[in-house]
Amino acid sequence: MSDTKLKEHRSAYLFMVSACIFLLVGMGFGIFVALKFLFPQLGDHPLFSFGRIRQAHTNVVLFAFLLQADIGMIHYFIPKLLHTKLFSEKLGIATWVIFNVAAVGGVIGILLGLNQGIEYAEIAPPFNYLIVLAWVLFLVNVMGTIMRRKVRCFYVSVWYVVGALLWTAVVYITGSILTRYASGLNQANLTWFYVHNAVGLVFTPCGLAAAYYLIPKVLNTPLYSHKLSLIGFWVIAFTYCWTGAHHMIHGPNSYWLETVAILFSWSLIIPVMAVVTNFLGTFATAPRATRFKSAESKLLFTGTLYYLATCLQGPFQAIRSVNTLVSKTDWVVAHAHMAVLGCFALYAMAGCYYFIPRIVKRPLYSPRLANTHFWLTFVGLLLFIMPMFVSGPLQGLAWLKIERTFLEILAEQRIFWMIRMLSGLLILFAQSLFFYNLWETVFGKSYFMKPATEEVA
Amino acid sequence: MQLITERNIAILAVGAFGIFSVGVFCTTVLPKFVDKELMDPKPNMRPYTEQEERGRKVYLAEGCVYCHTQQIRHLKSDQKRYGWRLVDAPPSKGWEYAYDQPHFIGTKRTGPDLARVGGKYSSEWHWSHFKNPRDLGEKFRHTSDSKLQKASIMPSFDYLTDEQIVDLTAYIQTLGRNQNWRMDKNGNLLNDYEE
Ligand code: HEC
Repeated sequence: MSDTKLKEHRSAYLFMVSACIFLLVGMGFGIFVALKFLFPQLGDHPLFSFGRIRQAHTNVVLFAFLLQADIGMIHYFIPKLLHTKLFSEKLGIATWVIFNVAAVGGVIGILLGLNQGIEYAEIAPPFNYLIVLAWVLFLVNVMGTIMRRKVRCFYVSVWYVVGALLWTAVVYITGSILTRYASGLNQANLTWFYVHNAVGLVFTPCGLAAAYYLIPKVLNTPLYSHKLSLIGFWVIAFTYCWTGAHHMIHGPNSYWLETVAILFSWSLIIPVMAVVTNFLGTFATAPRATRFKSAESKLLFTGTLYYLATCLQGPFQAIRSVNTLVSKTDWVVAHAHMAVLGCFALYAMAGCYYFIPRIVKRPLYSPRLANTHFWLTFVGLLLFIMPMFVSGPLQGLAWLKIERTFLEILAEQRIFWMIRMLSGLLILFAQSLFFYNLWETVFGKSYFMKPATEEVA
Repeated sequence: MQLITERNIAILAVGAFGIFSVGVFCTTVLPKFVDKELMDPKPNMRPYTEQEERGRKVYLAEGCVYCHTQQIRHLKSDQKRYGWRLVDAPPSKGWEYAYDQPHFIGTKRTGPDLARVGGKYSSEWHWSHFKNPRDLGEKFRHTSDSKLQKASIMPSFDYLTDEQIVDLTAYIQTLGRNQNWRMDKNGNLLNDYEE
C-alpha cells in the first residue's frame, strides 16, 4: 500500500488514545447519574436530565470507550498475528475519524433529546449510519490484512475477530436500523436481540480475541488448550444469539420464546467454561514468579474471573423464580457492570498498557502506578457491585409485599446508592491514574526513556 | 487437530455466520409469524392521536423508559401493586403495544410501572407531579409520613413547555386502556378522574 509516510500502528494508536479519553468522560457521566439518585435536583437542566445522561453514560462507555479500544487493539494484533502490516493505515485513520464523529455527534444528539428509544441503540441518524460505515471500513481493513497474511493458519483471536466483524454488523443494523421499521412486541424482540447480543456478539468476541492474544503474550506462555478454544468459539457462535427474550421473563412475550431463551442461556455455560478453563489453564502453566507480577496480568486475571462470575450469573437470573426477585432492580445494573466493566473494560485496559508502550516504543511510565491503578479499580469494583447484589433482591422481596408502598421501598435504597456513588468515584479516580500513566508514557520527558526509533514502514 | 476453518477465511466466515443466522432467524423472524396473534392490534384498539404521539415524543426524548417499565408481568405481585383499589391489573399482552413505535416496555423500575397508570390520577395531579415530583399531593394523602412526600427521585420536568406537559399527560392517560379492566360488576367504569 502507499502509506509509507504513515507510521505503522498509527490507527491502532489513535483508537486507543481516544478510547482512554472517553473512558474518563463516560465514567464522569456515570458518576453524574449516581449523584442524581441521591440528589435528583442536581444539575436541573434539560441537557442533564436523568433520562438523557443515563443514555450518554451507556453510549460513551460502550461505544466511544470500549468498542473503540477493542477496534484499536484489533488494528494492532491482527497484523501481528498474521505476520504482515495492516492493509491500510489511511483507511484505519479514516475509520477512526468517522467513528469518533459518529460517537460524539450521537451523544450530543442524545443530550439534546434526539434518540431512537432502543436501549444501547439510542444514537440517532445520521450518526448510526456513520457507525455502520465505520464498521464496514474496519471490516475491509481486517479482511484486506487477512488476504495479505504471511502465515497459513489463523490463531483463535483471528476467528473471534472475523466472527465479531460479521455478527456485529447484523446485530447493530438490527438494533439500530431495522427496529425503526417495526413496532410493538415485534420491535421488542428485535430490541432484546440487540441488547443481549451487543454484549454477547460484539464485546464478547472482541474482548476474548484481545484476551486470547494478551494472556499468552503477557505471561510468556503458550495457550493452554487448542481444543478448548475451538469448542468455545463454535458454541458461542451458535448459542449466543438465542437468548434475547430472557430480558422479558414473565412479560408480554410468548412463553415458548421465553423458554427457548432460558434454555439457551443455560447452554452458554459450555463455551464460557471452555474459555475460562483455557485462560485460567494458561495462568496455571505460566512461570510462578512472573505470573501475577505486572498490572496487565492482574487485569487479565481479574477480568477472566468477572467473566466467569457474570456468565454463571446470567443463566441463574434467567430461572423464572429467581428472575421474579431480581429483574427490574439494581441487581441487573450490577450484572451489566460485571460483564462490561469487570471483564471487558479490564481486558481493554490491559491492552492499553501492553500495546501503547509498544506502539510509541517507550516503556510504560510507571509499572508501580499501574499496580496502584489495578488495586484501586479492583477494590472500587467490589464496593460498587456487591451492595447492588444486596439491594436488588431486597427491593425485589419488598415489592412482593404489596402493602408496602413503592416510595417507602425506594427510600430504603438510599444508603446503597450512596455506596455506589462513592465507589464509583474511587473507580473514576483510579482511571485518572491509568490515564496519567499512559499520558506520561506517550508525552512525558522522563530521562530514562529512549527516543522512539524511526522505523521504515 | 486443525480444522479447515483455521486455514480458509471464506469457510471460517461462512461457518461462523451460518450457524449464527439460525438463532437470528428463530428468535427475530420466526416469532413474527408464529406469534402473529400476539403482536397484531386487536380490532377494538385505536392508534394514538396526534397529541398523544407528541406526548410519546416527549416520553422518548426525556428517557422516561430508563426509570419506568410498561409491563404488568404475569406475577400476582405486579398485578396487585399496579392494580387499582383492590382490582388487579391484568397482565400486559403483546398486542397492547401494537401501535407503539418505539415501544417503552423497559427493563428497570427505578420508578413504578406505568403500564396501567392511565386514569389513576387526574391530569392536574400529573401536571403538578411533572413540575415537582417532590410534592406528591393526593397520592400520599393517607400517609402521615411527610418524609415520603419528598422522597421521589424522579427529575422535575419544569423545563418542559406547558404544551408538552399537556401532550405528555394525554399520552400517560391512555396507558393500560387497551384492556378495559377498571369496571365494577355492573360494567361501570371505576375511578376515572377525567370523567
Ligand atoms: C430517575 C428516574 C425517573 C425518571 C427519569 C422518570 N421518573 Fe417518573 N417516577 C420515578 C419515581 C421514583 C416515581 C415514584 C415517586 C413519584 O411518584 O414521584 C415516579 C413516578 C411517576 C409517575 C406516577 C406513577 C404512579 O403510579 O404513582 C408517573 C406518571 C411518572 N413517574 C411519569 C414519568 C414520566 C412521563 C417521565 C418522563 C418524562 C418520568 N416519569 C421520568 C422516577 C423517574
